Amino acid sequence: MNQHWMAAGPVLSRRDLLRSTGGGFAALALAGLLGEEARAEGVDPRNPLAPRDGHFPGKAKRVIFLFMHGGPSQVDTFDHKPLLTRDHGKPLPFAKPRVVSSQTGNLLASPFKFEKHGESGIAVSELFPEVAKCVDDLCMINSMHGSNSRHGGALLELHTGSDTFIRPSMGSWITYGLGTENQDLPGYITICPNLSHGGVNNWSSAFLPAVYQGTPIGATGVPSDQAKIPFITNTTTPRSLQRIELDLIQEMNRDHLELSGPDQALEGRINSFELAFRMQAAAPEIQDITGESPETRKLYGLDDEATKNFGRQCLMARRFAERGVRFVQVSHSYKWDQHGGLKKDITRNALEVDRPIAGLLKDLKGRGLLDDTLVVWGGEFGRTSTSEGTDGRDHNPHGYTMWLAGGGVKAGMVHGKTDDYGYYSVEDKVHVHDLHATILHLLGLDHTKLTYRYAGRNFRLTDVYGEVVKEVIG
Amino acid sequence: MRVCFLGWLAFLLPLSALADEPSTAGFNERFEKKVRPVLAERCWQCHGPQKTKGGLRLDSAEALAKGGDTGPSIVPGKPEESLLIEVVRYHTDLKMPPKGKLPEAEILELVEWVKSGANWPAGEAAAAASSTSTAPAKPTMPPLNDPFWAFQPRTDPAPPEVKNSDGAKSPIDRFLLASLEKKGLAPAPPTDKRTLIRRATYDLIGLPPSPEDVQAFLDDPAPEAFAKVIDRLLASPRYGERWGRHWLDLARYADSNGMDENMAQANAWRYRDYVIRAFNADRPYDQFLKEQIAGDLMPSSDDEAVRNDRLTATAFLVLGPKMLAEDDPMKMEMDIIDEQVDTVGRVFMGLTIGCARCHDHKFDPIPTADYYGLAGIFKSTKTMENHKVVAMWNERAVPTRAELDASEAHKKEAAHRKETLNQQVKQVESELLAGSRDRLAGALELARRPDRLALIAGFLQQPQFAGFTTLTSLARIKHDREALAQFEKAAPPIPKTMGVEDRTPAHLRVHLRGNHLTLGEEVPRRFPQVLGGERGKVTDLARSGRLELAEWLARGDHPLTARVMINRIWLGHFGEGILRSPDNFGHLGDRPDHPELLDWLANRFVESGWSIKAMHRLIMLTSAYQMSTRNNPDAALADPDNRLLWHYARRRLEAESLRDAILSVSGELDPTMGGSLLPTKNHAYVNNTETGGDLNYNVNRRSVYLPIIRSGLYNVFQAFDFADPSASNGKRTPTTVAPQALFMMNDKLVLRCSEALGKRLLARSDLDNPGRIRQLYLTAYGRPATDKEVDRAEGYLRRFGTDLEAQGVTADARPLRVWQAYCQAVFASSEFLYLD
Repeated sequence: MNQHWMAAGPVLSRRDLLRSTGGGFAALALAGLLGEEARAEGVDPRNPLAPRDGHFPGKAKRVIFLFMHGGPSQVDTFDHKPLLTRDHGKPLPFAKPRVVSSQTGNLLASPFKFEKHGESGIAVSELFPEVAKCVDDLCMINSMHGSNSRHGGALLELHTGSDTFIRPSMGSWITYGLGTENQDLPGYITICPNLSHGGVNNWSSAFLPAVYQGTPIGATGVPSDQAKIPFITNTTTPRSLQRIELDLIQEMNRDHLELSGPDQALEGRINSFELAFRMQAAAPEIQDITGESPETRKLYGLDDEATKNFGRQCLMARRFAERGVRFVQVSHSYKWDQHGGLKKDITRNALEVDRPIAGLLKDLKGRGLLDDTLVVWGGEFGRTSTSEGTDGRDHNPHGYTMWLAGGGVKAGMVHGKTDDYGYYSVEDKVHVHDLHATILHLLGLDHTKLTYRYAGRNFRLTDVYGEVVKEVIG
Repeated sequence: MRVCFLGWLAFLLPLSALADEPSTAGFNERFEKKVRPVLAERCWQCHGPQKTKGGLRLDSAEALAKGGDTGPSIVPGKPEESLLIEVVRYHTDLKMPPKGKLPEAEILELVEWVKSGANWPAGEAAAAASSTSTAPAKPTMPPLNDPFWAFQPRTDPAPPEVKNSDGAKSPIDRFLLASLEKKGLAPAPPTDKRTLIRRATYDLIGLPPSPEDVQAFLDDPAPEAFAKVIDRLLASPRYGERWGRHWLDLARYADSNGMDENMAQANAWRYRDYVIRAFNADRPYDQFLKEQIAGDLMPSSDDEAVRNDRLTATAFLVLGPKMLAEDDPMKMEMDIIDEQVDTVGRVFMGLTIGCARCHDHKFDPIPTADYYGLAGIFKSTKTMENHKVVAMWNERAVPTRAELDASEAHKKEAAHRKETLNQQVKQVESELLAGSRDRLAGALELARRPDRLALIAGFLQQPQFAGFTTLTSLARIKHDREALAQFEKAAPPIPKTMGVEDRTPAHLRVHLRGNHLTLGEEVPRRFPQVLGGERGKVTDLARSGRLELAEWLARGDHPLTARVMINRIWLGHFGEGILRSPDNFGHLGDRPDHPELLDWLANRFVESGWSIKAMHRLIMLTSAYQMSTRNNPDAALADPDNRLLWHYARRRLEAESLRDAILSVSGELDPTMGGSLLPTKNHAYVNNTETGGDLNYNVNRRSVYLPIIRSGLYNVFQAFDFADPSASNGKRTPTTVAPQALFMMNDKLVLRCSEALGKRLLARSDLDNPGRIRQLYLTAYGRPATDKEVDRAEGYLRRFGTDLEAQGVTADARPLRVWQAYCQAVFASSEFLYLD
């Protein structure tokens, strides 16, 4: 296909882009029908969702983001701090941040044991026995930090790069940058997202064209086997009858177009009905997992009451990724906020996600998908190593852990450090902006060049910040 | 535009009083070995020749002497008072270097260096100075006397002469024709009357014309027939529901906060209803503007409706999305003020003033000082009840006299009942005392206790008191007391609105790089200098300055106010403004396609007493508005964007009009006006329909009355490009995407309404199927069906019926299913969705 339309030179304005959207739908429908062949030949570059090359070749072709809403504690999961255990009950030997969300007391040792795993010898707590087995595939970033100590602000910062303004989400930027590989499905899907703490703003396209916004499938509290694309099902009219109805609509629309003279929007509309009809067939097929083998189901924990809901989300993520959806987010919703009941609740949380996550990693690897699928795990912040009450930890954006796997990251490594107690990130610090820059880089996008002109200036996911963490790139 | 260099970037280190005395060789050596390498390796990457983050360099004596923008941060000889040392020690919020703390040894060297006077070897100034001058050129702010057109007073152009003066119904047409003629283009012919009334009806009231309205217009041969249609539509209460909604896009109206904490703004609807009322009443725009910025400060009115409207109007300033759970209250407050400054700038002046929060505006002549001059006005305004986590916005009581009276009366009655009750209690007590002298001590004790009544009841339950006369009185007391509690609970509520009020006025200091932790010089409260000059200062310093701001904006000679609004009205009629970036009149905005017409219209707008309805008449009674959408290949080639208006541009219905039209055509629309459909309590979390929450969009009221939930917009609105309610938005951009088709095929609103319409048509026993089809065309499209269309529809009805029969659907169930599917097809057709 042609020169990447945002790599250099003037960026298309929103209006230009939208103007082209209408006419582009003919091409879009074509691309869907011809699939791979059309892509190789180069589909109409005016199609805003047509797959595109990045700024440079990137190892990762797509992203699966496993989001642990609430803020999982780093010192109980992936950031082993022996001194925290030794000095349990003593005061933190340095100052706490100026702004905190709640007052905390003295140091609180992790109630969980850590052990080294794999060839890399990375320490993982007993909460994640299955993920621990995959540790040689992980790239642990122990030095994450962000700017906001509240869920809403931190969620928005993690998803959009801004905790101050409504901005396009990371998935929207990526879909804008690379298009998507399957025109019968949305390019950016978020499975069972939570509607609090920014809600739709966490997957919105803000000022980017609406075609780049995330499509939510279900929501928190909706069992993942009930999660569906909006308006996708018609309960009253069988497909064959719907086809008859559609034929009439299309005939009327073509007559109208003929009377009106050439009009890209009207033409685009005719094509959008065909696309919708195909999506209606494609989406349920993906959500129907009856074809998955018993081994695969077991791998994701579908056989266990505790793991089956999240396991199904992970399995759906693989099915979407496999079919070329560019960005899939899976949310384990708002359960990781252990102000109290740390021991009991984090045990339950880890139990729900450990097997499904390990299953996803193994399954991706087994299918050769892990090489070009970037898996990202983490929450909106971590937690304090000091205690809230006797069995809780407060929010802590100053030092926490996220991990990456696949998609061209170095495997079996730990990057960065928190202090001896796991409170502040102190070495090779990685800000959320740096993480964004790195994710884009892995996809072949330069975060300083992936821009969109709005209200008179070029915007980026990373605003004026962000540095690629070169050390984690394989 | 609003780059906020918050956080560590804001770190600015002015280094003052650097001693210039000759240094010893010994010190120099230590500096070269221990200090310079630390600075070079750890600091210069960001504060050196490549980058000067925070305006600071740390690579020469001169640069150090120059420092940043904040006060002294190195006090030679006193490391404990030096900000540089503080930040490398990671003691403050500003932590340097940001990537990780320096090793202790390096920090100690810096401490020692500062302690010994922070000397720098002489003779390196020149190099630094020359390297500064090679910095790449960046966009800089234009001068304050910028000659840019938008900042100049309006001109008073006369409509130009045109060759084809027959084609000009109005002076407006002469401006447009002149440009077309210059390009050798001709305007499209007038459209037919059916198309025109459909266009005008959707345009003014957002609903389709009824077949009777169409017929009446067709039957009216008078030259002023169309003017009559316009007047009829402008007089309809449906008008305010349509044009008020345009304003609500600008006001980023929503019934919930969105952002981080999606609390219900359960009183926001009063503002929405105020806007609809104001449009219906043709409230002069200057007054409408003043009410929204300073309604609470306008001269008091005896008319409670006027007073309450003015208080309600100021909800405009409170409605913005806010981070309600922000642990740093100062940041929260400044972010809220920023949202206000930005919104006021965009909505009324078409300026992106918010850009100047962190640095001088890079393209328009708005220095940071102007931003903080304006921000000071909002800092002096109470917008929030508190800045706690989760914060609460300010609200004001807006009772009617009757509600106030009812409340007073209720209070009075409650007080009276309480008093009566107290009397009874006293009486029982005294009876008790009189009846039992022995218990005097106990009674004295009793009298001191707040819960004495309960104790008395306890006494009375003892057998020796059975039959005591007091017992009955006591039961009565108990009953009365419960009744009183009930009565008090049922107090008539005093209605409240979101709204602002003045508070202790204050000037703001410039927030360097937008950071509230790094403050610069104080700026007096004032309006942007490029527009106001000396005149633009707040003079009554005892108040916030909001009223003065409002009056300044509402001046007839303000360079932007009238231009910006008339452009918005034009956009409402043509789909594009005369200037196509309605929210940005600055350098980075578009340029007006017809600058003289824009000024001419703005002049008429002010002259009309800022009457918006007068402007509708003026604009709609032109040849331009009444043109056909017909395509013209030559014109399309010469002017593909239709900037010269060679034809009327086809438009897609907006989300609300689409939904309202479906309800209206199917006969389901409920025309009730006003009030709230939000079931959530004020400041409680809003759920969303997706989660089976408490919102119900499956109602038949007009779309303008449906709750607007910021973090969970009604999915039909979402699918059809509703404006993002989190930001002011002067123009919606229609897209054509598959979810819209899915909506038409599968959504329950469409299914429900097409079934209702099918039922209605089937009930017309006076009509056969072709008759029903013709009726449907008249109702849905405002035109008769052609014979071909009737034939096709009949064929479809038969085929669909046969298929249903094959699927085993019974004969009595079939007609409705068939007609439902057909009505749905009509709703889903392009002709229904597009306006010619």
